[in-house]
Amino acid sequence: MINTSGEHSYATSIRKLRFLVVDDFENFRNSMRQMLRSLGAEKIELVHNGAAAVQRCAYDHFDVLLCNYNLGEGKSGQHVLEELRHRKLLHHSSLFLMVTAETSREMVMGAREYHPDAYLTKPINRAMLEKRLGALAERREALLPITRAMDLEDYPEAIKQCLALLPQHRRHRSWIYKTLAELYIQIGDYGQASKIYDDILSQRSLSWARLGKSRVLLAEGHLDEAVTALQLLIEDHPDYLEAYDLLAETLTRNGKPGQAQKVLLRAAELSPNALLRQRDLANLATRNQDIDTATEAWRRTVNLGTWSVHDNPDHHLALGRSLTDLSEGDPSGEGKEYAEEAVRVLKQLERKFPEAPDIGPRTMLVRARIVAARGNRNKAMKFLEEARAALPEDKLSADAGLDLAKTLYRVGQNREAEQLLASLAQKYEGEADTIEQIETLIDEPVGLQQRLQARTLNREGIQAYEKGGLAEAARFFEQALDIVPNHAALNLNLAQIRMKQLEDNDGSVVRQHALAQCRRCLESLEHLPPQHRQYRRYLAMKRKMEHLND
Amino acid sequence: MTEQQPARDDRRQIDTPDFSMVIASAVHDMKNSLGMLLSTLEDLREEQRGALDENPRFNTLQYEAERVHSDLVQLLGIYRLGEHTLSAHSDEHYVAEFLQEQLARHEQLLAGYGVSYEINADEDTVGFFDDELISGVIASTLNNAIRYTRSRLQLNAREVDGWMVLSIEDDGNGYPPHMRDAGDALLRAPDFSTGSTSLGLYFAAAIAHLHQNNGKHGTIRLQNGGSLGGGVFEIWLP
Repeated sequence: MINTSGEHSYATSIRKLRFLVVDDFENFRNSMRQMLRSLGAEKIELVHNGAAAVQRCAYDHFDVLLCNYNLGEGKSGQHVLEELRHRKLLHHSSLFLMVTAETSREMVMGAREYHPDAYLTKPINRAMLEKRLGALAERREALLPITRAMDLEDYPEAIKQCLALLPQHRRHRSWIYKTLAELYIQIGDYGQASKIYDDILSQRSLSWARLGKSRVLLAEGHLDEAVTALQLLIEDHPDYLEAYDLLAETLTRNGKPGQAQKVLLRAAELSPNALLRQRDLANLATRNQDIDTATEAWRRTVNLGTWSVHDNPDHHLALGRSLTDLSEGDPSGEGKEYAEEAVRVLKQLERKFPEAPDIGPRTMLVRARIVAARGNRNKAMKFLEEARAALPEDKLSADAGLDLAKTLYRVGQNREAEQLLASLAQKYEGEADTIEQIETLIDEPVGLQQRLQARTLNREGIQAYEKGGLAEAARFFEQALDIVPNHAALNLNLAQIRMKQLEDNDGSVVRQHALAQCRRCLESLEHLPPQHRQYRRYLAMKRKMEHLND
Repeated sequence: MTEQQPARDDRRQIDTPDFSMVIASAVHDMKNSLGMLLSTLEDLREEQRGALDENPRFNTLQYEAERVHSDLVQLLGIYRLGEHTLSAHSDEHYVAEFLQEQLARHEQLLAGYGVSYEINADEDTVGFFDDELISGVIASTLNNAIRYTRSRLQLNAREVDGWMVLSIEDDGNGYPPHMRDAGDALLRAPDFSTGSTSLGLYFAAAIAHLHQNNGKHGTIRLQNGGSLGGGVFEIWLP
């Protein structure tokens, strides 16, 4: 039994440490320095904003950062933490303590990655600081052999130290187990990681162990099991945002981008301020052709980037692209607003990232589409030529290539666009994401509204077909093909119907006409790249067609 | 036939304000303002180097601000309970250390009110609970106890049949009968006619209930007596 007054002093652990205090209020900085001194600290530096904190850490090493979450204008405490960890300016052995006036829960749960070692809720008094800091400093000292190895990225050594320290430090057992399992995942020893999580879970259901176990399941490719485990975890802990992130990742890997988007959307509603989560949502929504959601998510991604180390010119460009998509085929006032916003976003991008590779010509390509959509073909051609002059075609990145092809379609140079896409498909054969985008573009090189119209018609056609209404289905497909004449699946759907009618000796169709239509459908797919998902179906139908011709 | 990806749904619509959400965000703002106010009070106390420690009006100022602050934290918690976005993330904690930290936060106020305190917990006793949630419950119980005790407070931890029991005892007059007998009724929606205390107890009971292990849920118990002869607040964690 212990009595409060008689606890031991932490002064020796604290004295050796180097402190950096980050707060925008001078009073707070000074009173924190005073408290730290009274606890025995000798090396204490004070800075007044996040940028200065990052700057100091770039040149010097600190053992403990006491950083306010709310730092007024500029970087917040979370931005500082993210930047320090992302740029590896903070040792694993260093402690990052977030000082907040809020209950920390929303923040703990909100961050997508990078959690501080502890939260200190204001008001902070000396007694509180002594308890928290003392305990953390003691833990830091005890675990130094592990964190030092982690700083050197010597993971096998870190694992060895974990195993050695486990029996000595029962007090830090929980921390060591967590770290050990993560280290095993890091080096790819999923079996050992799984064993730790299973051991812990056999005694008690702890949320972090369930998340870890799911991470192992995902890494080992047990996607269905991971999905089930994560869904149950979210049911029990609907505030566990990392579980949503992992579930979305698993669903995407499992070929269910639509469901993944729903999961991320829910997480983003619960906690809208995590940049990387908004980015992932935007990418998923773009992939799912949900341009409204994508635009909103890109807007947030770009806004959140203002002070963040994760800001990236690609996010701004993607927002410009989404807005352009929305403005195309919508000649009303709203379309014009989207176009104007897109131009603003692109101009800001060029100002903010003048050094980014190819940024000038790449924004030019998107701007060409904006003016083309407003009927100004001459200006579009001018932008396009300027961009092409600056972008050597043999060195095109996938993104720039797709932008170029899209712009070529918009100014009516379909032949060139298709050739470009075919060469891109060859070059980026191994990248599923890129191939998928190329396919979509080849199939539907039109504006968003038309694309959606064609998709609705295709869906209605399929429904009619499933109910046996062949003639009705064919009419839907024909209408859709009026909008997107080179759409692979649509052409094959129509040809398939006509062939079936011919086989069935359907009296309502004229044989010559039906054959001619099949031929036209297949001819329009002549340039289909072999990487296209419909390519094998195309070949099969072509053989069947030759047979019918005999 | 090849189906394509789903078309976008038209989500462009005007949001209608949800009153409880408006309240929640207002409470959030108020809570942060009070946090600033409390910080400033603390700074002021430091600045005056002891001159304010014995000042009853200053202590009342700080005490009442603390009380409103912890009420607002509870309100937000209750909002999130209703939204089903609050859950207990349990982990292993050393109970004695945890209780010391809780007391440290109230140290100046306790000194200001002349209340002495002690912790009875084995240094090696571990408990599994969500430290942040339980910390909220203990903070508000301590606040309450400071108000009703005469001169002494006790924080205890003990294990009973696999349960971790944390208790706060005082030497005041104890709980009135209607509160003591509330029992499981606490888990039903709070009865606001009896004053803010029932809100605090409702919250404590709800937080306890969020803690579960092997199908058992946590609970709270109120008694009178104990080793100090006053009110005894117990939180039982599975």
